[in-house]
Amino acid sequence: MPLEVRSTPTLAEAASLLQAERAARFLAGGTLVVRAVNEGDVSFSTIVRTSDPAFTRLRTAGGRIELGAGVTMAQILASRELAFLHPAARSVGGPAVRTMATVGGNLFAPHPYGDFATALLALDARIRLASGFGAREVSLEELLRGRERTPRPLVASLSFERPADPAAFRFRKMTRTRPKGPAVLTIAAWLPLSGGRVSGARVAFGAMAATPIRARAVERALEGRPLSAEGVAVAVAAAAGEGDPPTDPIASAWYRQRVVGVILRRLLLGEP
Amino acid sequence: MRIRKELFADERDDDLRLVGQPVRRQDIEGHVTGRTAFFDDHSVAGLLHLRCVRSTQHHARIRSIDTSAAERTPGVRRILRWADLPKKAHNILTIFDFGIDDEPALADGKVRYKGEPIVAILAESRRAADEAVAKVRVDYEPLPAVFDVEEALKPGAPLVNEYIGRNWFRYWGDYDCQQIRFGDVEAALRSADLVVSGRYQMSPIEHAPLETQGCIVVPAEDGRFTVYTCTQGLFFSLDNTAAQLKIESNRLHFVGGTVGGGFGGKVDTVVEPLAVLAAMLTGRPVRYVFSRAEEMQVSSPRGAERIYIEDGVMRDGRIVARKITHYHDAGAYSRLSTYGTIKSAAHHPGPYTIPNVWVDSWCVFTNRTPSSAMRGFGVTGGDFALESHMDVVARAIGMDPMELRIKNAYRDGDMKAHRKLTQGAALVECVQVAAELARWPLSEEARRDSSRVGGGGERARIPPTPTARTRAPGSTGTGARVEPARLGTGFAASEPRRGTTPLPGWTGGAGFPSSRPEPPRREAERREPPPEPPRPSTGGHGAIRFSSVFGSRRR
Ligand SMILES: Cc1cc2nc3c(=O)[nH]c(=O)nc-3n(C[C@H](O)[C@H](O)[C@H](O)COP(=O)(O)OP(=O)(O)OC[C@H]3O[C@@H](n4cnc5c(N)ncnc54)[C@H](O)[C@@H]3O)c2cc1C
Repeated sequence: MPLEVRSTPTLAEAASLLQAERAARFLAGGTLVVRAVNEGDVSFSTIVRTSDPAFTRLRTAGGRIELGAGVTMAQILASRELAFLHPAARSVGGPAVRTMATVGGNLFAPHPYGDFATALLALDARIRLASGFGAREVSLEELLRGRERTPRPLVASLSFERPADPAAFRFRKMTRTRPKGPAVLTIAAWLPLSGGRVSGARVAFGAMAATPIRARAVERALEGRPLSAEGVAVAVAAAAGEGDPPTDPIASAWYRQRVVGVILRRLLLGEP
Repeated sequence: MRIRKELFADERDDDLRLVGQPVRRQDIEGHVTGRTAFFDDHSVAGLLHLRCVRSTQHHARIRSIDTSAAERTPGVRRILRWADLPKKAHNILTIFDFGIDDEPALADGKVRYKGEPIVAILAESRRAADEAVAKVRVDYEPLPAVFDVEEALKPGAPLVNEYIGRNWFRYWGDYDCQQIRFGDVEAALRSADLVVSGRYQMSPIEHAPLETQGCIVVPAEDGRFTVYTCTQGLFFSLDNTAAQLKIESNRLHFVGGTVGGGFGGKVDTVVEPLAVLAAMLTGRPVRYVFSRAEEMQVSSPRGAERIYIEDGVMRDGRIVARKITHYHDAGAYSRLSTYGTIKSAAHHPGPYTIPNVWVDSWCVFTNRTPSSAMRGFGVTGGDFALESHMDVVARAIGMDPMELRIKNAYRDGDMKAHRKLTQGAALVECVQVAAELARWPLSEEARRDSSRVGGGGERARIPPTPTARTRAPGSTGTGARVEPARLGTGFAASEPRRGTTPLPGWTGGAGFPSSRPEPPRREAERREPPPEPPRPSTGGHGAIRFSSVFGSRRR
């Protein structure tokens, strides 16, 4: 069967096509989908794309920042408002990949990918799903948990609260090659301080499980503590117990478990 | 960059116009403007696309292959199997009468590495071919696999390649490995102040060319075939394709051009024979191009090499003995590893004058992807081990690593372990210049040293040499080969085996054969040749400087 490409003017129509056809695959930036086609992946025979303007819209005006799922890493890097997210966007592939790679596609990119999704997890992003019958919202965590289910939902956009203090957001990606490469692991953290103590921390790990995950034990251990060597000690010790890291050509599960605390400590203490 | 023209000034016409000058690559404009034509830029009407079903197993007997669903896939025109092959097994060096035909172009009833091609599908589109590939059912009976060179040499290890008949390649009729024997290493190790040992392990390295391997074959009315290919060795690949298809070479017209990245990775001639056979059997033009995943997994990498070094060292820094065991992991088939192994032995013990040298270099078969040529294969792995080990030795005796190299560097007129007199040595000067550039302090003595002094004389002597031959554990010498027919149904013996005759001399890199050297004499018959008279040190550099291990550049 030849491969068919179907373009739709609206997200809702794209969603309906995807619902109706099991062997359809949504194409966003295509950095993974087109690679699969080139490598002879025959698990899908229809490609669905959309020219809906909402898909690539980036709204930074209100109290919530809203990104169309088709917003690219390059678009984020071009936005001064989103400067706090630049380290996360820049960590995805090289310039050619970033020109095409979308935030929506990053939510579905398999391990060890999903660096931007890890950042969004620490920002507690909400996901808007498109469907033929109207839109629906879920948390990013929920979406990631069920992302292997079929038919896969179509993400229209996502949003998160504009950070009052952008410095409270931190991001680190550890790679074996520099400046770019797949993650040994990625950590994103939202660390608001109140009276010098952490209050309401959110910490996310990438490449430490099949999908990016929230590190709840680390978050609990940080609550009410100062970001000092003693203050973060319990959280650092808890890091290795989070997730279930895969062994792959980048790193072994053993190594990831041992190194995650080291990277977390550096991130929390602002060390190089 | 500054050229040190004062060094060897008398040996060189001072006409260097390119070294040290910025030069624009002649092909760069085409590359950056996207106008360079590669083999795959030939658009041909009525093309069939060839895709292979590949083994999911490292080592298995094939019970059955069910292609019925694949045959019914729309667009599929033909499926090639082992039975369709004119020549049932081949090795690219046997066209020079070296080695053993040990690799079937499609699985012969057994698979010996993961990714080995089993059947080839020809279809009207790449997509149809891929769909058909996904529908072929192969029933495997998994066999124990071996992935480690030393495990593979143990008695009782699974036999990887029945054509070879044992898990190592036997050289010159009756040597289980390539050997160098020079002086009495065991005695020298016993009398040395210190013995420093090391184990060095390489990983396979993929060439990763931007352009994956492939070709387009167009049949012509006169019964000839035009082959647009990215092979690095156009006529080498032409001759190998003709040999494998048992046709006259004048029926093939190979058209090369710009190779989109090679580095040794495009000489194995794995795509052309199948594609030409497909064009012969269908009468249609055929395109066979590796996907990126195929390029990474099944195109042959630089092999994994494991090297053991044992050095006998004196407190003053002299290395008096060097004993090396070098294992080349050929993977499941020879390809060019049999030759790479010879190269490694030719390179040891490195650019040093060591009076007692013992080298065993093994070409070992395992159930890994066949390895083959990559720039300097055999030599690069050895150098990694040798130079790492020089640092280890320096540390062990508390000597500066640069000084250690200068002290042991070969000088003009020194006898090498291969019984050749050193000419054109320049290591001392290289180390001196490197030290200077790195602001590395050298002693006055090391700074004044020269490749042209101190060589020859006693150092030109060939020492008395015990010539013990190494045997693989359990090896019986000229042992019985396990006949491929042993595999049972669907597997016939290959062509009559060619003798293990000498490898022709190759000129540098993954190049092409030139003259054929004399086969080395058997140890038993060998009497030490009388030492050659040392060259006079004045003008000792002569007119020839070595440009590589085998090639020499005549000025
Ligand atoms: C060379 C290279 C380097 C890379 N490096 C990195 C890296 O460092 N870090 C990293 O995180 N990733 C990396 N990636 C992976 C990938 O490029 C990114 O994850 C990218 O963000 C994926 O987005 P895309 O738009 O290209 O996805 P696509 O290829 O278009 O789609 C990927 C998957 O997501 C699905 N999908 C896409 N959009 C939606 C949507 N809106 N709703 C539902 N499903 C959707 C598609 O159906 C498909 O299954 C790399 C990829 C390559 C080829």
